[in-house]
Amino acid sequence: MKRNFVGYIVLAIALFLIALLRPYAFFYGVQRGSLYGLIALPLALTLGIVGLLNLAHGEFLTLALYMTYLLFDKLSIDPLLSPVLTVPLLLLFGLLVYKLVIERSLKTHHLNLLLLTFGVSIVMVESLNIWWTSRPRNIYVPYASTSVSIFGVYVGGYEFLYTLAAFIVLAGLLLFLKKTRLGQATYAVGQNPRGAALVGINVKFVYAFVFSLAAGLVALAGALLSVRSSIFPHVGGPFTMKSFSLTAMAGLGNLPGIVLAGIVLGIAEEFVKSIPGYTGWADLVFFVVLIAAIVFRAFGRREG
Amino acid sequence: MLLRTEKLTKSFGGLVAVKSVDLEVKQGEILGIIGPNGAGKTTLTNLISGVFYPTEGRIHFEDKDITFVPAHLRARMGIARTFQLVRPLRDFTAFENVVVSCLFARGDSLREARKSARKICELVELEEPERRLDRLTVFELKKLEIARALGCQPKLLILDEVMAGLNVEEMQRMIQLVKSLREKQITICVIEHVMSVISQLTDRVVVLDRGEIIAEGPYEKVAHDPKVITAYLGEEA
Amino acid sequence: MKYFIIMALCVLCFLLPFFVGAYMIHVLTSIMIFLSLALSWDMMLRTGQLSFGIAGFFGLGAYASIIAVDDFSVDPLLSILVAAIFAALVALALGWIVLRLREIYFAITTLALSSVFMIFARNLSDLTGGSAGKVLYESIFKGDSIKIYWLVLSVALTVILVSELFQRTRIRFAINAIRDDEIAAKCSGVNIFKYLLFVFVLTSAIQGAVGALYAQQYAFVEPESTFSANFLLLPMSMALVGGIYSTLGPIIGAVVLGLASEYLKLVMPYGHLIIYGLILIVTIMFLPRGIYGTIANRIATRR
Repeated sequence: MKRNFVGYIVLAIALFLIALLRPYAFFYGVQRGSLYGLIALPLALTLGIVGLLNLAHGEFLTLALYMTYLLFDKLSIDPLLSPVLTVPLLLLFGLLVYKLVIERSLKTHHLNLLLLTFGVSIVMVESLNIWWTSRPRNIYVPYASTSVSIFGVYVGGYEFLYTLAAFIVLAGLLLFLKKTRLGQATYAVGQNPRGAALVGINVKFVYAFVFSLAAGLVALAGALLSVRSSIFPHVGGPFTMKSFSLTAMAGLGNLPGIVLAGIVLGIAEEFVKSIPGYTGWADLVFFVVLIAAIVFRAFGRREG
Repeated sequence: MLLRTEKLTKSFGGLVAVKSVDLEVKQGEILGIIGPNGAGKTTLTNLISGVFYPTEGRIHFEDKDITFVPAHLRARMGIARTFQLVRPLRDFTAFENVVVSCLFARGDSLREARKSARKICELVELEEPERRLDRLTVFELKKLEIARALGCQPKLLILDEVMAGLNVEEMQRMIQLVKSLREKQITICVIEHVMSVISQLTDRVVVLDRGEIIAEGPYEKVAHDPKVITAYLGEEA
Repeated sequence: MKYFIIMALCVLCFLLPFFVGAYMIHVLTSIMIFLSLALSWDMMLRTGQLSFGIAGFFGLGAYASIIAVDDFSVDPLLSILVAAIFAALVALALGWIVLRLREIYFAITTLALSSVFMIFARNLSDLTGGSAGKVLYESIFKGDSIKIYWLVLSVALTVILVSELFQRTRIRFAINAIRDDEIAAKCSGVNIFKYLLFVFVLTSAIQGAVGALYAQQYAFVEPESTFSANFLLLPMSMALVGGIYSTLGPIIGAVVLGLASEYLKLVMPYGHLIIYGLILIVTIMFLPRGIYGTIANRIATRR
């Protein structure tokens, strides 16, 4: 316990220093990190409840981005309104993928599921590549470029929506899991699927529900991200590994920890980006975190 | 003293499966370990064989501290166990299952391992061991578990409920087998629910309840211990 | 008798270039490259661990070999060995950490590998030529396609030999036990970590060597194409289609898919990766043991 406490103090000091010395990195990091946390939550949900690592997670985001772009481009629907359509569509898509591909293989070797979701991710990326080509698309809306002043530092204001969304979704999930019947059933399935089945919970339904819900949540993130990011077939890919790194670091059941870890790592990433000459190395941050999480888990095991 | 545990404790999150157990196993004896379901008998076996490490406490084998020694090294040191729910390796024939432990716990070459495995199969009277696993009866699967454990050339053999699922005649033959193992200088721990087996086989019995040792001694004495009876039957015994 | 046939087949393979045209030699060389990758992936899979790192170590070996020849004047043939050793060392360091946790942790770490190595390739531009890559003055053997074919054939035969050794020696017992039931395996004396690490290092070395072969053949490396997902997907599909957990399976898969992909490239110049993704899904769902595995299974259960 004491070790943890000291670690957190050190971390807080480091973050404070970064905020002071490199305020842009700090605020962009908070924003970007909230996005990571927001996207990681559905992955953690699927991993924790269904026990499935969805390697196509990032591709669901890519799909959501393209859908938002399509609605904006062809029907002039504002991206912030588009979730009304994209969330149900993606919920359906998630359900389809689950029913067609995943459900029948749930009882088989877990490696099968990894290969399956990997195959799904490839099919999705390549389909989008064929349909849209690799030319990046962009959505331009005026409000995406607003600027805000914090302690005299001018940063982009729009991306704080990520932070807002992350905490809203986090709160929503926590309330859902604790207070609603479906949520409690979901939580029970995550703890002990056999036990849950014995008390009459429809485990299959919960699995399908969670998988679809994850896709729907990703759609939300996609809508927000769509105005600030280029959209191209491989855009979502990196988010899969980053989401998993956050989950590995915070711990499977620790939803708030995942969002906080996201923010911390977002800041770390931006910090590395801001060091002249080391910009290209920023993407390694999450990989290092993944390795570190593995090290802690593996070598912390001695305590039983 | 072949095996000695010192305040051995194992908790899983909030659940304490084994609580401060001081167990002693004397060289050459057949020790019975009994207790109601969930008493921690299999957890204790897992701790001794090294499947996981304890939360607190120590384990000594032949006066060496093996608390954090990995399982495969313990197998080579001569600690072997059977599994309550038999876990033979599905991709192999019964014979090959025995070869595995001869290869890696004994360190035999492939040729030597095959010879040793054959001898062990004869010893446990496992006929036609080249059969695939789905052709073996429950009795034969249990014998296979023991054969696999014997492949480790054990000094200490822990039998986790080998009698489960056997009929009366098979149980008698199993008892004879265990007795014959004792003649080979193997110290044996028998975890069982069937009391007649315990009374026939064991020199001494240890009773576990909710992770703790509540009684110890020869079977006759332990069977009449009110604490033991309460543990098995509940308060209104 | 069996050995005689195998020897005859090997000799035949060596003599093949004299009987077929240049295009076919090229196709066969390509098939053997992917065959080696497919077998190396399968060997790791036999331990029960799913590695997505093929493309990563392939690219690592490619870069190591090109850099060795270009910057350190190493003989091209020797550079292949250098690449294998380099890949092995990286795998050793990585595996020593990650193989303690296995399964999804191991899988996703290996998945990230090609991206991570790509970052190194892009940023260490002095060494690697950055985003533009590196070009060699000439290909190995001055581009003689028959000599290249023989070299690749030798490597492929070596890999096949290693795979067979895995199936025949005590290694088979260790690996199958680990894959089937780790707890039973370790209680029978198997040092799981040691075997996993050994197989990981060995298969990564193979992948590095193959990457070097490929790079020496085309005499260039470049981050995007050298670490292409093609080198991950195609070997996996080959092993799955042909039949995992065997030597013959990946060979069958390599020939079948290798020939098919040549045809596919003509018909569908872009996005043919989607086919491999579909193959992956369909094979897992309907034919998980692949062609060879399903046949072998039918024969075994009929006995």
